[in-house]
Amino acid sequence: MSNIAGKAYAMNVITPIPWYKAWLNWLIFKAALLVPNVLNGLLTLSLIHYARWVIIPKGKFPHLDSSQPKEELKYSYMLFFSNFNGSWDQYVDSFTFAIPSGLDLFWKMNVRYPKSVPLTPFHNYIQHNQIDTSHYYNAYPMAASNDVKSAKNVKKALIDFNAASSNKDPDEFLKDYNNLLNNLQHDFGEMSHTPIVSLAALAVKMRHAGAHEKSHNHLR
Amino acid sequence: MTQNLDLTDIQGNIVKAYGSFGFFKARYLFLRVDNGDKGRDFVARITSKVTSAERWSKSSAPSVTTNMAFTYSGLEALELPTASLIGFPEDFVMGMSKRKVILGDDGPSDPEHWDKIWQEESVHIWISINGKSIEDVEERYQWVSKQIDATGGVSLLKGHRGEDAFGNPSDDLPYQDASILYDENGMPSSKEHFGYTDGIGDPVFEGQTNNEKRVIGRGKLTSEGEWVPLATGEFILGHLDEAMEYPHTAPRPDLLSNNATYMVYRKLHQNVGTFNKFLDEQSKVFPGGKELLAAKFSGRWRDNGAPLVHTPDEASKADWDKKFAAADVPTQKKMLTDFTYNEDIEGAKCPVSAHIRRINPRGSLEYGVKGAFNTPGALVDRRRILRRGLPYGKAKDQTSDDGNHGIIFMVLNADINRQFEFVQQQWINYANDFKLGNDKDVLLGNHSAKCPGKVVFEVEPGSGKPPHFVKNIPRLVETRGGDYFFIPSITALKMIAGGIIDPT
Repeated sequence: MSNIAGKAYAMNVITPIPWYKAWLNWLIFKAALLVPNVLNGLLTLSLIHYARWVIIPKGKFPHLDSSQPKEELKYSYMLFFSNFNGSWDQYVDSFTFAIPSGLDLFWKMNVRYPKSVPLTPFHNYIQHNQIDTSHYYNAYPMAASNDVKSAKNVKKALIDFNAASSNKDPDEFLKDYNNLLNNLQHDFGEMSHTPIVSLAALAVKMRHAGAHEKSHNHLR
Repeated sequence: MTQNLDLTDIQGNIVKAYGSFGFFKARYLFLRVDNGDKGRDFVARITSKVTSAERWSKSSAPSVTTNMAFTYSGLEALELPTASLIGFPEDFVMGMSKRKVILGDDGPSDPEHWDKIWQEESVHIWISINGKSIEDVEERYQWVSKQIDATGGVSLLKGHRGEDAFGNPSDDLPYQDASILYDENGMPSSKEHFGYTDGIGDPVFEGQTNNEKRVIGRGKLTSEGEWVPLATGEFILGHLDEAMEYPHTAPRPDLLSNNATYMVYRKLHQNVGTFNKFLDEQSKVFPGGKELLAAKFSGRWRDNGAPLVHTPDEASKADWDKKFAAADVPTQKKMLTDFTYNEDIEGAKCPVSAHIRRINPRGSLEYGVKGAFNTPGALVDRRRILRRGLPYGKAKDQTSDDGNHGIIFMVLNADINRQFEFVQQQWINYANDFKLGNDKDVLLGNHSAKCPGKVVFEVEPGSGKPPHFVKNIPRLVETRGGDYFFIPSITALKMIAGGIIDPT
């Protein structure tokens, strides 16, 4: 599926929201950013690269050229855009179970939003409003966002260690080295191929050919 | 407890782990349906002896139990209408061998190396016989054989690897035997072939037990830090699940799926020689000694199952052992399961990669951010599995992998993909949820010579000590066969037998 590239999945969801309620939603987003701890759950879900909500006011969809016909829309819209590691189910379910009230708060003004629990109406709502990704490029197909964070920790620590300890006598050097390993003990995960999410014919064929690392995925 | 289950309708193996009721011997039979009419007659006959989940008193407990389940092709062969068949989930329809890329069944675990019986796509019916003695099992087996002969519509399939009655190796046995292991004094034990104490900490769900103490460490964690039973629908169809809805893996009509569940049957060979050699070699470079290293692999000490999070070193283990020896049985059970990883988020005591922490992270996926999620187990409660099964074979030569010995591993869950397959794929063979990249479970991971496993055993942060690296982990467990089964209620068995399943 073109929503998937390497370990990453790209999700776009566009949902209508009555124009006279859109500003309330905008206020909720502002408040969420100001109040500490509100986004704790979201930030603790380490499979998420990022999640972004954008309100598109009525009639403000991009109009790139005068030849592009103007659409007549009754509603404002909310764009939800996120990249994450894992499958669609894993992601949507993690959201539902970890932060149901947060989801309900963010989507509550949207037309026919069913609430996040029970699960099936919520699944149907997301599925109905999801726009598949037609082209998705991933520069690091074997890296999950946790891997990138770990790699950055290791790189910085190693550069610092080199600067501070490379000229020390062996005993001191060993002590510093052990400290370095201690500080990085959660950053040594192996980086390898993605677990299989898609059973599409091409994905299965590539897997048999050993071409797991193919990163470029687009509709053909 | 808010839920009263119809225990007379639910098959007994769903609610009870027979092994803990003194049923130490088991025999698993696999059959093919050759004729729909006669096959249904056979199902009717077996159903008359199927064991329900009714509670037993000392006097009412039987000496042998019988249970029955079907593959998707089995239900087709028994001529369920398409309108019902179409309601089964993709994983069950495909069957286990076709899910190999999800399960990581590659290399020596690839279905092409499985026992002969799994090389054909004709396993339709599973029958399990659990007995207090091998004589009890044999007697019921003879009875089943008579029903096969009498109806003529089904065939008992051969093709299991193991030893025949005379101890000779065979690859064409007509059934799979399993048994608990006995210690050196011939006493029953709860060990498996690597020496670990097994079968602790199975989940507890609503309606299963009246004993609140048994829920501790085995149910789900509330925000207040209490343990309560998981929703019944995580394990039995037709009941509300943790998402506050009825499992959508249920086929129609309701009478076909109510009180049913799905079973994963897996024959797992244990490479005992490789394990012992690996453990010996690795303990030479591990500061805490061999038994602590073995405990770090699993999260529990091998001798009595003491949880590492409460017994991180020899001294604390000795204290724990003393208390354990003096305690009554309910207190012992509590000592084995009553813990979380909240005081050990870093994994210095029980490694983040330890087997029991992977398959049930309890509240630890909040990473110490209290209140981050709706409940501490928000990412765990929908991934729990009931484990059933027994060891098979004997590891006669502790230095060799050869022979036939391992575990008949059976999982019960309402949604194979969401529960069993997720745990196997994401938490055994992968570790992004634990922020450990592609590191795999030491004991069950599909390590290979080309891609040998590696894990890091954490130490106290800020102690200046380096963590311990375990490298070159070989494949310790290999899949030798199995499939996905549907375990209907007793009502549904009767309806299947009567040929009256129909959603209209």
